[in-house]
Amino acid sequence: MNSLTDRYTWAVVRSLPEAKRADIERELRASVADDVEARMAGGATEQQAEHDALVALGDPDRLAVSYADRPAYLIGPRYYFDYVRLLKLLLSFIPALAGTAAGLANAIAQQPVGAIIASVITTALMVIVHLGFWTTLVFVILERSSAAGKPLVTWEPSLLPEPPVPGRADARIELCSSLFFLIAAVVAVVWQQVASVFQDAAGDPIPVLQPELWQFWIPALFALVAAEVVFAVVQYRRGWSWGLAIANTVLSALIAIPGVLLALGDEIVNPAFVERTGWDDADTVLVPLIVVMFAGIAIWDSILGFVKARRASRVAA
Amino acid sequence: MVNDETRTAHLQELRRGTVVLACLVVLREPDYGYALLERLEQLGFAVDANTLYPLLRRLETQGLLVSDWNTDQARPRKFYRTSPDGEALAELLVADWHALTASIDKLHGGAR
Repeated sequence: MNSLTDRYTWAVVRSLPEAKRADIERELRASVADDVEARMAGGATEQQAEHDALVALGDPDRLAVSYADRPAYLIGPRYYFDYVRLLKLLLSFIPALAGTAAGLANAIAQQPVGAIIASVITTALMVIVHLGFWTTLVFVILERSSAAGKPLVTWEPSLLPEPPVPGRADARIELCSSLFFLIAAVVAVVWQQVASVFQDAAGDPIPVLQPELWQFWIPALFALVAAEVVFAVVQYRRGWSWGLAIANTVLSALIAIPGVLLALGDEIVNPAFVERTGWDDADTVLVPLIVVMFAGIAIWDSILGFVKARRASRVAA
Repeated sequence: MVNDETRTAHLQELRRGTVVLACLVVLREPDYGYALLERLEQLGFAVDANTLYPLLRRLETQGLLVSDWNTDQARPRKFYRTSPDGEALAELLVADWHALTASIDKLHGGAR
């Protein structure tokens, strides 16, 4: 059986680089022997002296860490906050995005509902695991690479964050979604004109909307959309107020009132398009549907504006 | 009253650099690990073996100490001695220590 000293020195050097091992082991053995000798001179038995000398040196793994002079952790304080920040950022939207994409793909492939839900969950989980693993690996390598010693980004005062304004993050999401829907609306109106789902005998597209609307109402709608864009940006920069809530209502009304009137006069949907779909009782369904849509969106949006203005005035008070 | 752990941690913090300073000065005369440990203890520098041995190697890697294996005796020992760079650093550290002592004295005088 090996002596305690043999086992101890092996426990220390096993995790050290090959090149350093022999030298450290030799020195450590000499040091332990010196200590044992001194303790025996003090009256201890050899066994007791060896035991006490090793106890004085402590946990061999800790000693090995001191000898190795390299981090005994995966990610140290230098990169820890960068690591956490990046991981939070990635996890905040990529798993949801990937899960949604997988669900959509399965939905398009007309899979059963159970399979769609399962694909969303498994994809999101898999992406979470991958993000966690690869991000950690990159930082672990960074921690140990020779380029280490400097932080990733040299800090300077211009990097200081703005103190959070209450509801600011919500406001940004609001702005982005408003702009997205406004742009999507314009794209949809243009698209239905130049490339509808149906073509006539000559191969030209049959627009969904009444082509006469282009003479005045559609350009007017585009002008109002532009006004909505300006409004969304102003609202984002200033926050909600009573004045902006009123302006919001006026804008909504300017879009909704002509929309409702045109719908009631049956002037919105292209009759040729309805005919092509072969939908017989389209008028009885379509007209109320469009009226409710225009009116509903406008009323809902106006009320929301006033609710937010009231909340903002309370916060300010 | 602060707890023992906190007190020990602060004392250790305060003494950490003094071990390096002591090693660099003491090792103007070559010595090996265990003997150095004893000498430091006699001089009043409390240091653990498991701190000192790795420290000596670190200082050697930094070029502040040089070492030689002495195999003349029955037990081969690694002797360390202060290099010229180590000597220069020792002088700097000692000067800084004196400046600190002066500051602490002043602090003490001012408090009274």
